[in-house]
Amino acid sequence: MKTNILKNKFYLGLSALSVLLLLLAWTYVSISGGGLIPTPFETFKRFIELLYKPVANGTIFIHLLVSLKRVIIAFLIASFAGIFLGVMLGWNKRFNAFFGPIFEILRPIPPIAWIPLVILWFGIGETPKVVIVFIGSFVPIVLNTFSGIKMIDSLLISAGKVLGANERQLLWDVAMPASLPAILAGMKTALGSGWMCVLAAEMVVAKQGVGFLIVRGMESGDSSLIIVCMIVIGLVSALITFSLTKFERKMCPWQTR
Amino acid sequence: MQTRKYDITNIILSVCGLATFFLIWHLSISLGLISERTMAKPGEVVSTFIAKLSEVQPDGDTIQNHFLTSFQLSLYGFIAAIVIGTPLGLLMGWYKAIEYFANPIFEIVRPIPPIAWIPIIILLLGIGMPAKAFIIFVSAFVPCVINSYVGVKLTNPVLINVAKTFGASNWHIFKTICIPSAIPMVFAGFRISLGAAWSTLVAAELLASTSGLGYMIQMGRTLIRPDIIIVGMLTIGFTGALMAFVLNRFESKIAPWRAKK
Amino acid sequence: MADKIRIKNLCKTFVEKSGETKVLDNISLDVKENEFLVLLGPGQCGKTVLLNILAGLDTPTSGTINYIKGNENGKEDIKEMKMGEIGMVFQKYALFPWKTVIENVEMSQKLKGIDKEQRRKSARNYIKLVGLENFEDSYPKQLSGGMKQRVGIARAYASESDILLMDEPFGALDAQTRYQMGEEILKMWRKDKRTVIFVTNNIEEAIYLGDRIILLSGCPATVKAEYIPKLERPRDYMALEFLQLRKEIADNTDLAL
Repeated sequence: MKTNILKNKFYLGLSALSVLLLLLAWTYVSISGGGLIPTPFETFKRFIELLYKPVANGTIFIHLLVSLKRVIIAFLIASFAGIFLGVMLGWNKRFNAFFGPIFEILRPIPPIAWIPLVILWFGIGETPKVVIVFIGSFVPIVLNTFSGIKMIDSLLISAGKVLGANERQLLWDVAMPASLPAILAGMKTALGSGWMCVLAAEMVVAKQGVGFLIVRGMESGDSSLIIVCMIVIGLVSALITFSLTKFERKMCPWQTR
Repeated sequence: MQTRKYDITNIILSVCGLATFFLIWHLSISLGLISERTMAKPGEVVSTFIAKLSEVQPDGDTIQNHFLTSFQLSLYGFIAAIVIGTPLGLLMGWYKAIEYFANPIFEIVRPIPPIAWIPIIILLLGIGMPAKAFIIFVSAFVPCVINSYVGVKLTNPVLINVAKTFGASNWHIFKTICIPSAIPMVFAGFRISLGAAWSTLVAAELLASTSGLGYMIQMGRTLIRPDIIIVGMLTIGFTGALMAFVLNRFESKIAPWRAKK
Repeated sequence: MADKIRIKNLCKTFVEKSGETKVLDNISLDVKENEFLVLLGPGQCGKTVLLNILAGLDTPTSGTINYIKGNENGKEDIKEMKMGEIGMVFQKYALFPWKTVIENVEMSQKLKGIDKEQRRKSARNYIKLVGLENFEDSYPKQLSGGMKQRVGIARAYASESDILLMDEPFGALDAQTRYQMGEEILKMWRKDKRTVIFVTNNIEEAIYLGDRIILLSGCPATVKAEYIPKLERPRDYMALEFLQLRKEIADNTDLAL
């Protein structure tokens, strides 16, 4: 028992050491690099400053809200459209035969590669960003919903039929809940991908948003701005994953892990 | 008999679906529903593609050269990520000391999307080849490590116990039990890595570059040449799909026991 | 006792790319009202297919099945069975994992559009019948194999059909639970009599449960023999008659003991 506790302390110490070393290495690089990169402390100071001092007509919080708004609007539309298309592709063989190949042609194109065309179509306002995020989150939702429906245990379908479910009830009361975990997993991937897409779209052309801010940092050689943005972006990603995992648990209480 | 009939109906439907798709695409432009300035007809896309095989204008290079630039870069970055990331992940999964040392760093780095690395790396390394190779390396590295790590962690403990009863050494168990059973996860990681590498490269080329497929579509936007953009997009998509396909074939070679019927 | 189901010359052949497989060959048998009929046969023969056809999940290649719904003045009322009018218990439970015990049990009535209060009341009754009063709000995942199958039985009962099909319902349980469930199912059946068709590959289970045992041959399945155990219930596995019948059946089949 005692050696176990000692061992655990040793391992925790290792973890602390690694984070400490990371910070030390960062500090070392920034000092020896002659100010090309800010030290961790300078970065923190810059972060606090960005909270109240606006850059390009907005504090970092405003830029973050702008980006999140774009993601959320597009994500909601993509969820409805994606679940609908995924269910139809998985449920109806004829529908799948007709629309499947079209989807298969467009699917491998990374959402980021859509950026130039979408900008050409919709200009530089809010719409192109929302469209890019939509493309980025639509595909994983469709794919996961589709495979969720396809992978349903056929026994459950049989059970539903025997219990007297008609085609509509079979879809709504059996197939949909059975594939809910897969759909939610798809939504989780989609939101992560959407977050990446909004950054990419804002990096290419925007006047506001975190992606715009980070490129602003690059263009003006402001490395502390870049690093603060990276940290904020990472925190939001982690928060997205965390909250959607919570949401998954809440929606699927039968899935004890 | 019945199944055969279904198959034929489905094939006909698929052909009809594609035909409808291209027809709507074509008609919406030729009838003027969509401006020719923002969208090219399917036929124009094909002819632009053929022309770009030999024509360097207006974006500075032929499509093969753009393709090769991008393809080589992503392959270098991807292979470097595999070679370094996979062993690291596997070792992290088996040796607790390495796990506790390396894991916190990955937990910090993991949530940052690869494209968020682009500005700082460009700032530090410029817009040349090394910067891009490094960006791709970063984007492909993290999934490689994480999946290899999880793959070892998920090894069925019964298999490890069986090996222990045979008197296998710690290293031997790792080598003969954990690594093979982690292969599916490792390859899933490769697939994620490859996708991330490829799309991050496109992003990097969109932002700062003088060649490559991402640069080509960005130039297409600047010059308002939708045909060039679409040719570039389709090439990017097709290459991505092809690389994923090759990777899958490779996996079924390496892990034939997982081959699906 | 009056006939409940009349099966005549039933054949089933599966056509696949690799060729044709005949699984049911000219099966004819009558099922009496409220009897506990056991279909006994080796593993891979068409017992499940036969049940699926009876449940309407599959169609026969040839032959007829008549369900006799009533008997007025010596004139039989023969009707088509619709889905939802026959209860079925599956070997692998086929419970809906996203539904609690009570939601699983009330499923068939919910699909029929019966209002919540009424179907809950009836579901509680059947849950009580199978002895799971304290687990109404548990998810299937939280239950043991035996308990899961009790839910499966309650769900089949709750469809209020007078015919219950049971496809090796205890096949996935351990030996101890299997004996116990055998006892239990007879208790339930005595309390609430229905026409039961029970499929098994276990000779002892067949003798312990059946009013009548139909012995099926291997692939393709044909009716080989019929046994009527003349034993008082609860039957004693060690009684001389039990063992004699067991030997008689064993000698007549390729089933391993």
